[in-house]
Amino acid sequence: MERSLISKKVMPFLLMFVTLIVATAILDAVLHLLDMTWVGRWLGIPGVLLIMLSFLYSMRKRKKISFGKPKTLLKLHEVLTWSGALMVLVHAGIHVYAILPWLALVAMMVNIISGMTGQYLLDRSRQYIVEKKAHHAEKGLVGDEAERALFWDAVTLDTMKKWRAVHFPITLIFVVLGTTHIFSILLYWQWK
Amino acid sequence: MKNRIVNIIVLANLLVLILLVIFVPHLMIEPGKLMDPHMDLTDDCFACHTPFIGSRSSKCIACHKVEDIGLITTKGVAIAKEKKNMAFHQELLEDDCVACHSDHKGVQSFRPIGQFSHQLIARDTQELCDSCHSNPGDTLHQKIKGNCAECHSTESWTPATLKHDEYFRFDRDHDAACDTCHIKDDYSSYTCYGCHEHSRANIRGEHREEGIRDYENCVECHRSGDEDEAKYIWRNKLRGTRDQAGDQRYYRYEHDDDDDD
Repeated sequence: MERSLISKKVMPFLLMFVTLIVATAILDAVLHLLDMTWVGRWLGIPGVLLIMLSFLYSMRKRKKISFGKPKTLLKLHEVLTWSGALMVLVHAGIHVYAILPWLALVAMMVNIISGMTGQYLLDRSRQYIVEKKAHHAEKGLVGDEAERALFWDAVTLDTMKKWRAVHFPITLIFVVLGTTHIFSILLYWQWK
Repeated sequence: MKNRIVNIIVLANLLVLILLVIFVPHLMIEPGKLMDPHMDLTDDCFACHTPFIGSRSSKCIACHKVEDIGLITTKGVAIAKEKKNMAFHQELLEDDCVACHSDHKGVQSFRPIGQFSHQLIARDTQELCDSCHSNPGDTLHQKIKGNCAECHSTESWTPATLKHDEYFRFDRDHDAACDTCHIKDDYSSYTCYGCHEHSRANIRGEHREEGIRDYENCVECHRSGDEDEAKYIWRNKLRGTRDQAGDQRYYRYEHDDDDDD
């Protein structure tokens, strides 16, 4: 039972995080080998754009926008934040210069770990409400409609609410630090 | 109401951080300490940075007059001897200080903003490599004066672009250390007698068998370990010599054996 919990729940969680770190190291090494470290300097921009795009899901969830399937947007949110974080990590490199970008980076990493935790909790919530599917079917909900109802059930479960109460402020801290870092770059960078 | 409070807190934090970035940037975003002579500018980032533009050369030149660089310090003290052989900065085609200089030690140590481009130097001056670069002083370079571009490019000093294949191609049997052929690392000459396989007696014997007397400059025909290739080059050489400059050499090939032995 314990082994099953580790292999089914903990391992994928760890694997995703470790993959992010390993992918960063590989990409950084490749750029160094090809003498293209300057690419890393500019990767921050697409990285931030991807992360910003990932917020479509958050906006959909808060009903700020009405287009897109929530489930698809959530998947997109996960993929875009992972890819954006990879670019930002390569962009950061291993060079410790200034405090502000490092705080923004730490906030991003905490955010990612929090996001992965949410992913795990959502998965667990879904299991709890699988039985509800039958209930929805009884009520005559089928296909897309049933799927959507099930999804919202899962994301509004109590544990998810509690997790979101933590994830949201972490995201805000990241947004504030990231925005300030971007502003400082615009202000002081050598534009040529 | 709750959302409004959160928004206000977020905006307040953002504002405070932005103000910190503007007023104490050296504590927030300084990418490494400044060079010692500029330490007194540490808390005055805008002395060099123009907001939303960056470090313009005009700001550097306001203190470092181009015509004075290397001759007089910014405090008016005469510099006894410029380190370079020529008035380097005065000869540059463009004033692009940050192409070479980055004042923050962190940036300079790991990620220079830009790289010096030889294109900034006038074409005539570009050929005067030793005005800035010192001779490495090894046996090869001691004997060479100028003509650096033969092996080196302005992109990077190493690797030197000497194409050894144009003289001799290495193969399995000739995977030798440089000083096997270039004695004492003197690359201006070579010898093939450094290897036991190529003893003077062996080489003399084999060439005489073919009627060849002029064999001291081995790579003239032996461009690799391929003997057939050497024979081919030798025969072509003979034909070329006979066609273009009479048959003197060819004659030697044909008759020297009879005369000498």
